Formats: sequence, structure tokens, C-alpha cells
Amino acid sequence: MQMKKWITALTAASAMTMAASASAQQEDIVLGGSIPMTGVFAFAGIAIDQGIKDYVKMLNDAGGIKGRKVLYVPEDTAYKVDQSMAAYKKITSQHKVNLYYADSTGFSKTVNPEIERAGSILMTGASFGKEINDPKKYPSQFMVGPDYTEMVSILLNYIAKTKPGAKVALVYSDTEFGRDPVDEARDTAKKLNLNMVAEIVTPPTSVDVSAEVIKLRRAAPDYTIFHGYVLAPIPEFINQAKSLGMKTEFMGTFWSMDHQTVMRMGDNADGFMGVMPYRYYYDTEGKSPMLEKIRQLRPEYQTTGYTQGFLAAMLLTEAAKRTLDAGKPLTGSNMKTALNSISNFDTGGLIGTPISIKGNSIPVGRVYKADMKQKKMVPASDWITLK
Amino acid sequence: MRIGSAKQSYRVDEALFDSTTQQTWFGVLVLMLAAFPFVANDYWLYLACLVSINIASTIGLNILTGYTGLVSLGQAAFMGLGAYTVAILQIRYGTPFLLNLLAGGVVAMIGGIVVGLPSLRVKGLYLAIATIAAGFMTHFLFSHWASLTGGTGGLTVPPATFLGNELDTSFRIYWFVVPITVLMLFGAANLFRTRIGRAFIAIRDRDISAAVLGIPLLRYKLMSFALSSFYAGVAGGMFAYFFRLVTPESFPLIMSIFFLAAVIVGGMGTILGSVLGAVFMTLVPELLKLIVGWLPLGGNATLVLSPVRTIVFGLMIVLFLILEPHGLAEIWRRIRRVFHLWPFRT
Repeated sequence: MQMKKWITALTAASAMTMAASASAQQEDIVLGGSIPMTGVFAFAGIAIDQGIKDYVKMLNDAGGIKGRKVLYVPEDTAYKVDQSMAAYKKITSQHKVNLYYADSTGFSKTVNPEIERAGSILMTGASFGKEINDPKKYPSQFMVGPDYTEMVSILLNYIAKTKPGAKVALVYSDTEFGRDPVDEARDTAKKLNLNMVAEIVTPPTSVDVSAEVIKLRRAAPDYTIFHGYVLAPIPEFINQAKSLGMKTEFMGTFWSMDHQTVMRMGDNADGFMGVMPYRYYYDTEGKSPMLEKIRQLRPEYQTTGYTQGFLAAMLLTEAAKRTLDAGKPLTGSNMKTALNSISNFDTGGLIGTPISIKGNSIPVGRVYKADMKQKKMVPASDWITLK
Repeated sequence: MRIGSAKQSYRVDEALFDSTTQQTWFGVLVLMLAAFPFVANDYWLYLACLVSINIASTIGLNILTGYTGLVSLGQAAFMGLGAYTVAILQIRYGTPFLLNLLAGGVVAMIGGIVVGLPSLRVKGLYLAIATIAAGFMTHFLFSHWASLTGGTGGLTVPPATFLGNELDTSFRIYWFVVPITVLMLFGAANLFRTRIGRAFIAIRDRDISAAVLGIPLLRYKLMSFALSSFYAGVAGGMFAYFFRLVTPESFPLIMSIFFLAAVIVGGMGTILGSVLGAVFMTLVPELLKLIVGWLPLGGNATLVLSPVRTIVFGLMIVLFLILEPHGLAEIWRRIRRVFHLWPFRT
């Protein structure tokens, strides 16, 4: 009799343990984030953080992913690689992290061996560095848009279509960020029969650009593409070039294309163009239910950094959802495979065309143009998808 | 009150650890350092390695600035030279990591001698500005000599290997970073018991008097630059193995300012000051993050408190300079004196 009691007790205990482990399997899906909330990129980091938070809240309010909540754990990094690494170590020491947002190209590259070793994390982030767009070297990472080289290619494609054989100048900062697309831009321009007439390199936040503007004037390009800057020295270039009577069209890439950044350039920036992978907050063209939701949630203007963070959270969690739907464990490679299965995916209008993710980037973008009368960025082209 | 520490020979008087209490505590410290990796999680191990690398570089700068009185803002540049040397040797030749670190130190040392040449002519702020040039020159070299340095994209460093084991986790890296830093600490501590170290101090206190005493100023100043940059080079090498990525942007001017701040906050002209300064500058921002995390604020606390944390850290540095210009080492010395003299007060 005593023996029977023991067996019953043991059976009950093991049943409880199994039940506990079953509920443990329903643990949160953790999205860690190295976010620059102070330092030079704080303006972007704060918006990105808000975007991720809002999407995660929407997702959790709708029941999470297969009944599992998403827990977002951010840490400030001040846009420094060592602090980003510390944040990564801290978050991964305290949580079983599945998804991660990285704040820079430097950090994405530095943390890659750790991500590969962990084997359980899918990562995206603020980097559009070409080097990260290599599925072999960075198999557990991807970027929420085209890489910098693809951004410049989108601009060159637009130029080739608008003005075949146009003269193009490239002005870039003397940083990893700035130099990223230069070599391929040269080749792409050649392929598209464009004439690359000048390549001008400046310090990242250069103030006096008079010598460079004279160089630019001598080259007399039809289009001038800036890359590797957020704001300075673009306004100075535009102001000086316009005062010299130059007719060149100025263009930028993602980080210098936010509405607020362009508006700060002043009236001389009227007509400033550039590539943008997302719809602007106020863009009502076409169907955009997700953008509508964002506008309801936040009636004030949200920057493109916000959209980037929001979309990053959407794609990371979509990869997790597809992995769980397939009945597979949340490993880095399973989630990456699930992410790459995304085909003709509707982002709710955040990107104005359905997207497919074949490698590590989403090579889609649209050329927008500043209209200073309306104080808005208006579309100058249709959505351009690179093959 | 501590008794029984009467010195009966010069040798005993000059010993690094002049009492059994000190020896015991040092033994305890070594044991704690050895036990640390087994109890700490990955985050604290990461920080321990980072602190260790920063200590190595800070000691180097303290030799130059604290002991020889030559202000330098080129420490990050010398670290960069060491890091790139190690990365290139590891990638191209796969030579043993200790040899690479030594080579990194030597290359940085040569760089230090070149940059130190103006030190006979200029002093103080002028020298500080002259040493900033080192940062510009090395940045140009790293970003433009692309065939060797990988250009702006930098170099991805394979992990160091020891007896066939890859030193690729913070746990494994700890076992080579911390002992090397301890060795460097002993090296620096011993340096100031030699003629060379004494000459450095003489130059710092009054260079004209030192010259009158027969100390060749240029030779010793260059020697100080060489030693300081050797330390920076080795620290840079450890940095390369630790982060596994070196780019021209890994060694900005702000990094040199970080080390100078560590020397000043820790205490100029003391080895303990280098350790405490590097620990303070590396760990206090992290501790402030932890404290902010513990505060029951909820909502968007990270966003609101991140700038506050930065301001508090800045204020702490300013307060240190005002209230304790001799740095953390002086506070430590005072605490020790209290225990030595207890129950008396002075």
C-alpha cells in the first residue's frame, strides 16, 4: 500500500513537472536591442526605439506570436561599439534572446561571431552597410531595406531613366559609411551609360566646403548624389552651389532623407531628391493600413527612423512566427530561412510595394522630392525594385 | 594601529609589497581574479576583459603623463598601430598570438618615438596638440592603405589560438588578457624602482634640474614615449583579439581623451591610479545603467534616463577633479591610513 502511494505521488510530481516544462516552452520571445539613445545617433535611436515598442505592443495586444508574448529589452549604447557589445552581453546574459536589433555596421560586424556561436538569434538593425549584405558571411543577419550600394543604384537607375547619359557627381564622407557604395556606384554608372564626372570626399561633418563646391562647379554635373552624411555639409553645398548659379539636382540616401532633416536644409533645398525605402508618415497614396494605425496611435509626425524600427520589429517577429508555424525551433538559421521565404509580403503599406527577401537586403526604394511649398516629401518616381 | 613594519634594509624598504598584510591581500586578489570567470556571467566577463585592456593602456599613458609629465592625446593612435599590426600578422601569417602582441607593441613603440620627437621642444598643451597629429596620421594610414589595412571596412581578425584552442569567448580571452595586464602592471611598478623610472620622475618634477643632474632629456623623454606606446600597442593588440574587428574608426580621438581622463581621475603618477581610473571610466557608466534599471520607474525609463546617466557621469568626473585632484588613488591611500592608524585619527 505504501508503495502504491509513492508511485502515485511520483506520477503526480512528474505530471506536474511535465506541465511546468510545457508552460516553460510558452516563454516570451525576446527581442533585444542595442539602441543609441544618447550620442550622435540619438535622434535616430529614440525614434527606432519608439517604433519597435509600438509594433511589439500592437503584436502583444493582438495575442502575440502563437500565444507567446514578445518581450522587448533595449539598452542604450551611445552609438559606441564597445557599449553595444556590453549591451548585447548584458541582455543575452539575462534573457534567452531570439531576435536582436543592432545599432551600427561596426557592431553588426563585431557581434557576428557571437551570433554565429549562439546560433539562436536573428539580427537586423540600423546598418545598411554593403558588407552585411552577404548571406554567406552574415547568415543570421539582414537589413530592413536596400544596402547603401543598392540605394545609390536606385538613384542611378532613376537618373538613367529620367535623363539618359546624364553627368553624375558623387559627394561622400571620409568614413566607412561614406565610402561604402563608391566602387560599385562607378561600375553601375558605367553600365547605365551615365557619366561619373566627379567624386568628392569630405570630412563627415565638414563646415567649409567652398573648395569642394568649386570642384563641383567645374565638373558641372546634372545630378549630385550625397552619401555618408545626415545633414552637414549638405545644406552648405546646396546654398553655395545655388548662389553660384549651378543647375545640378541634389540627391541623398536614407539617413539624410527624413522629412525633418530635409526641412532643416531651408528653402534652397526645394527639389532635393533622394531614395527612401519606406512611405513617409503623411503619405496617403495607395493602401497603407499599418501607416493608418500609426497615425491613429501617434497623431504627430513620426520620422523614418521610427518606420525603420517598426518594420524591423515586424520582419523579425514575422520570421519567428513563420518558424513556429513550421513547427521548428527558434534557431538563427531556421528564422533566417523563414525570413527568406517571405515573398510578395504586404507590409501594410510601410513599403509601397509587396516585398520579397531573397538575401540579406530588401532592394526596394522610391525617389522622393522635397516640395518646400507643401513642406512635404513628394514621390518623384514609382517604387524601384532592383533585380 | 599597524605595528612591526620597521624596515632594516634598503631592499626591504623598496620592496613592492612591504608587509605580510599586503602580500596576503594580493594573494586574495589573485585568487579572486582566478575564481571570477567561474562565477561571473558573460556580461561581467566581457566587462572584466574590457577593463583589463583599458588598464593596460592607461598604465602606458600614466608612465608618460603621470610619471614623466608629458601630456599626450595620441594613445588611441598607438593602440591602433598595435591592433592593426596584430590583425595583419594574424590574418596573413597566423603567427602565435603572443608574438603578434609583442610585434604590435614594438610597432606602436616606433610610432611613439616618432611622435615623441617634438617633446624636447614643446611641452604641456603644445605637446598635447602635437600628439593629436598621431591620430590623424594613423587614421589616414589605416583608411587609405587599403591593400594592407582593408581600407575603411577594416580587418576581421581570426581568434587567437593557444594549444589548439581558439580564444573566442570572453571566458577564454579573460585567461590571456588579465595575466598580461597583471604582468604589465608589475613591469610598470618595477620600472619606477629603477634608474630609468627615477629619471622620468625627475624630468616630470623639473626637467631643467634633471638635465643639470646629468639626465639626457631627449633620450629619456623618447624612452618614456616608447614605453608608453609599447603598452598602448599591446593593449591595442588585445583589443584586436577581443573585438575581432579593427577599423580606422575603432580608435578615435575621444578614446585618447578617455585614457587621459582615466589617468587624471585615477591619480596621476600612481600605478594604482591607472587601475582605479580605468575601472572607474569603464564601469561607472555601466553601473549607472544598472542603477537606472533598478529604479522602479516603468514606462519609457531607458529613454528618459539615458541622457541623465551621461550627465551624472560627467558630473562625477568634474566633482572628482574639484574635490580630489589627486584622484581615486589618494582616496584609497587615505582609507588605508585610517586602518593603519586606528584607533588614532592622524
